[in-house]
Amino acid sequence: MRYKSMLMATLALTGTVALWSVRASDAPAAAPAADQAPTKQTPQPSSVEQRAARTTADHSKFEALQKDFKSGPEVTKACLSCHTEAAKQIHKTKHWTWEWVNPDNGQKLGKKNVINNFCTSTQSNEAFCSSCHIGYGWKDKNFDFTSEENVDCLVCHDTTGDYKKLQGLAGHPVYKQMEYPAKSGKMVPAVDLQDVAQHVGATSRASCGACHFLGGGGDAVKHGDLDTSLKNPKRYLDVHMDASGLNFSCGTCHATKGHNIPGSRYTPTGKDAIAKHIRGKVDESNPTTCQSCHGQKPHKDDTIITAKLNEHTDKIACQTCHIPQFARGGKPTKMLWDWSTAGKLKDGKPFKILDSAGHDAYASIKGDFKYEADVVPEYQWINGKVKYTLLGDPVNTNGVTEINHYYGDANDGKSRIWPIKMFRGKQPYDLESKSLLVPHTAVGYGEKDDSAFWQNFKWDAALKAGAEASGQPFGGKFDFVETTMVWPITHMVAPKEDALTCTQCHSKSGRLQGVQGIYMPGRDANKWLDIIGWLAALGALVGVIGHGALRIYLSRKAG
Amino acid sequence: MLKIVGSFVAGIVFTAVLAWNMMGGLMFVERVSPFGVEETVARIQHNIQDTGNGWALSGLRNPAKAIQQDGGNALPVLMVEACSTAYSKPILNEDSVRFLSILMPCKISVYKKNDGKTYIGTMNAGLMGKMFGPLVGDIMGKVAADQVKFVVMDPSKPAPQMIVPKPAGEGGGGGGGGGGGC
Repeated sequence: MRYKSMLMATLALTGTVALWSVRASDAPAAAPAADQAPTKQTPQPSSVEQRAARTTADHSKFEALQKDFKSGPEVTKACLSCHTEAAKQIHKTKHWTWEWVNPDNGQKLGKKNVINNFCTSTQSNEAFCSSCHIGYGWKDKNFDFTSEENVDCLVCHDTTGDYKKLQGLAGHPVYKQMEYPAKSGKMVPAVDLQDVAQHVGATSRASCGACHFLGGGGDAVKHGDLDTSLKNPKRYLDVHMDASGLNFSCGTCHATKGHNIPGSRYTPTGKDAIAKHIRGKVDESNPTTCQSCHGQKPHKDDTIITAKLNEHTDKIACQTCHIPQFARGGKPTKMLWDWSTAGKLKDGKPFKILDSAGHDAYASIKGDFKYEADVVPEYQWINGKVKYTLLGDPVNTNGVTEINHYYGDANDGKSRIWPIKMFRGKQPYDLESKSLLVPHTAVGYGEKDDSAFWQNFKWDAALKAGAEASGQPFGGKFDFVETTMVWPITHMVAPKEDALTCTQCHSKSGRLQGVQGIYMPGRDANKWLDIIGWLAALGALVGVIGHGALRIYLSRKAG
Repeated sequence: MLKIVGSFVAGIVFTAVLAWNMMGGLMFVERVSPFGVEETVARIQHNIQDTGNGWALSGLRNPAKAIQQDGGNALPVLMVEACSTAYSKPILNEDSVRFLSILMPCKISVYKKNDGKTYIGTMNAGLMGKMFGPLVGDIMGKVAADQVKFVVMDPSKPAPQMIVPKPAGEGGGGGGGGGGGC
C-alpha cells in the first residue's frame, strides 16, 4: 500500500513536471498579436482583387470609354461626361494650382512659388516639371488653369501601371512611340489610352508614388520617407502599408474629400490634441495624424511602462519613437546637393562620378551629392507654423539660409518633438539683391535653348533666363549660399518592437541631445542636485556601515 | 595570518572582477569612421587588396538584411571578410591550434549606431594571438599589423567602388564568395 502510494505520487509528480515543461516549451510559440506575426497572416488579396470586390462599376463596359483616344484631354472629356463635378473639384486643389496661401503669414507657397534646394524651382522649367502636374499642357505661363479638359484623371486613377508622364512632355503621356531620352537609343512605347481609361480605379501607393516617390529628380531623393520601396513594402518598412498585412494605400490616411487631399508639409499638425475620428461624426481636423486613429493614449495603459509612454505623447510626436530611421527600404535618400560645382565638363561633355554604393556623387548637370540610407533623423520642436524663404527674400550670406523654418517651442503648448530630414544644399543667389535665384535648367523634349543650364552649362545665361521667367531682378553677379530645408518624417513606421528604447533618448549622447527646452532624466543634470544626491547616498552608506559596525562592536563588548 | 590570506583572496577576486570587466573591451576594437557605411566598406576592401601578404576578399555579409526579411529593423551592418593563406596555412596545418579556424576568415565589421555615425569593429588579433602560444602569437601579430593598414581612412583619396561579391552574400547566412583567400 505504501509502495503503491509512493508510485502514484511519483507518477503524479512526473506527469505534472511533464505537463509544466510542455507548457513552458509551448509558451514562446504562443500565438502573437496579429500585428506581430506578418508571416502567419493570411495573404491579402491583390490590389486588382480588392478593387474588383469594392467597385460597383466596370469601366471597360462604359460606352464613353469605347473610343480610340488620341490624347489625354480626350479621355478627360469622356470621364467628365459622367463625373461632372470632378474637374471643378480638382481646380480648387493644390495638386492643380500648385499654389497655396499660408493663412498664418500670407506667404504664397506651392510648387509654383516655392524655391527649394533640390531642383530649386518650377519657374522657367514648367515643361519638364509638369510631368508631375495633374494636368495636360503646362509648358509656360500661358497654361489655361480654367480648362476642365486639361485635368489629367488617369495619372491618379490608373491601375494598369502603364500610364507614365515623362519629363519634358508638358504633362502629357507618350502618344506615339518615341526615343527617350533623346538620342539615347531607348524607345518608349505609346500608351494605350483606351485600356488605361477602361481600367481606372481608386488611387494606390503606386499611383501617388509615381510623383511623390520620385520627387527631387529621382527615386527617394527628396522626402527620405517616401520612395519606391513603399510600392510593395514589407512589415519591417511600414506596418501600415505592409503589402501582406494592413496594406494601407496613401488614401487610407490622406482621406480625400472632393478630390482635396489632406496632409501637407505646408500645413503640418505639430500637435493633434483632438480625439480620434469616429465614423458618422463630422470632424474637420487633420485625418492624417497618428492621433486621428490611435487617440491620445495610444499605448495600452496597463503597466507602469506603457502608462509612462502615454505621458510622453504630449511632448513627443509618435513618429519620433516609431520611425527610428528613414530611407530604410534599400533606397538611399539625397542628403546634400551642392549646385556650386555643377557645370564641369570632360572633353566638352558632361560626366558623372559614382559613390561607393554606385549612386551619383557628382553630375555635371546638378553638382555634388551625398546619398545616405538608414538615416538617423535629426529632431526639433514643431508646432505646425512654417515660414519659407521665397524669391525676393534676403538670404543669410554669413551663414546658412533656411529654405523653410518650422516653428516650435517646448513651452508653447502646441509643439511636439519631431524627427526630420535636414536637407543641406548650396544654391545660387544674386549678389546685388541678396536673394535666391532660379536657374533655368530644363526644356521641353527635343527643344533647343541656349540659356538652359542642362544644355549649355552656362550659369550666367541660365540665371538670367530664370530671373526673367520668375520676374526677379538679376544684376549679373551671383554666388552660392548654403541652405537647409526641413522635411518632417512621418512615413516608414516601424513595427512597435523596433521603436526607440528609453536609453536611446535618455542618455548623454542620445538622439535628443540637441533638443532644447526640457529637462530629460539621463540626459540633463543639475550640478547641485547631483551633489546633494551623492551626499545623500554616501550618507546612507556611512550610516549603514556605521550602524552595523557599532552593533558588532557593542555585541562583542557585551559578550 | 588570516589577514594575509584574506587580503590575498580579496586581491585575486578584485583582479578577476577587473579582468572580467575589461576583457570585452580588450578583445575587440571599435573606432569611428569619417565616411558612411558603404564608403567605409569600399575603402577597407581596397585597402585589403592593396596590403599584399596574400590577402584577398572572401565575402561581404549583411546581417541586417536577414533581420529585415524576418520583419524587423536593424541599423546597417556590413561585414567584410578577408583571408590570407600565408597566415591561415600554418595554423590549419597544426592540429593543436586547428580549432582556431573558427576565427577564419578575418572579419571587419562596419556599422552605424544610433548617433548616426559609422563605426569600424575589429578583433584585437595581436592580443588574442598571444593566448595560443608562439606559433599563433607570431602569425596573429602579423595579422594585427596588416589590420591596421586595412582600416586606414584617407580622405585625400577618392571614394572607391564597393566590391559586391557574386552571388551577393546577403541574408546573414549565405557566403559571399569573393573567390579569394581561404
